[in-house]
Amino acid sequence: MSHETWQEQLRRGTLDLAILLTVSSGPRYGLAIIQHLEHFTDLVVAEGTIYPILGRLTKEGLLESTWVEGEAPHPRKYYALTRTGEKRLAGMKTAWRDYAKKIDRLMAASERERA
Amino acid sequence: MNLSDVGESRVNGYLFVLQRSLKTFLPPDAVRDAVREIESHLRERMEAADGSPNERETVERILAELGPPLRVAQAYSAERTLEEAVTTGRLVPMFRAMWHLAVTTFAGFGAALGMFAGYFVGFAFLAIAVMKPIFPEHTGLWVDNATGVPHDFGMRFPIPSDQHVVGGYWVIPISLVAGLAIVVLTYRGNRRFLTWWRNRRLS
Repeated sequence: MSHETWQEQLRRGTLDLAILLTVSSGPRYGLAIIQHLEHFTDLVVAEGTIYPILGRLTKEGLLESTWVEGEAPHPRKYYALTRTGEKRLAGMKTAWRDYAKKIDRLMAASERERA
Repeated sequence: MNLSDVGESRVNGYLFVLQRSLKTFLPPDAVRDAVREIESHLRERMEAADGSPNERETVERILAELGPPLRVAQAYSAERTLEEAVTTGRLVPMFRAMWHLAVTTFAGFGAALGMFAGYFVGFAFLAIAVMKPIFPEHTGLWVDNATGVPHDFGMRFPIPSDQHVVGGYWVIPISLVAGLAIVVLTYRGNRRFLTWWRNRRLS
């Protein structure tokens, strides 16, 4: 597996967590989610590929969506975290921190052994 | 940004291609919702670019950032159809996913052909098992009258003059086992192909 492939898998694997984190502070519409992700990460490669993921997360019951009209010249579709989504996000955050801690430990041990 | 007629037709053209691609695998209400959301995204981006001197460049940049319509449609396909097929293993989503892959890729076409052949043969065996008790003289192993060489296995209406059917009701368990085995193997192969395809897209 090339480095690029590994990075791409990592990016795709963390997108769900990144999106759930983005809407955890309150409802956001599609473009606002993309802009938030672009501001903090480089996870968004093509903007159009975020919408299908939002659709899947909604279908899985982790997000709920509502069309809001009148706020802007065009309607906006807002996404908010559901109860199930909150629980899943809490689980994902714990798993991510545990995982990162273990990899950090492994990297530290590897560097110590090489030194 | 108020788009000129040329700019509007470029945006509408993008949405048209997206809509046509999505229609092949998503239900109509999901297509409407997806296109509406993408249009909302584009309009918002255009508004933010208000005051930009070159409309054509701005529109092209915004569309490029969103991604080609076929790529966006493929992302929907990967997330919706393929994901549903792989995770649930239900037949309808699997058939829908295979249909989409068959009309968009060579590998998908080949796999769909294999799937069709597998289910066809499997259900043919099951049909023989069902029909044998109903038409015992018409169902079974057909043997040539003159040479005694087996000709084919199945049902014949009317009975051909140069062949006769051999074998009794043993045809039923054999056809049942063979039919079920072929159907199950086809189902498993189909699901494995979809899983492989999904993982390939993710990598």
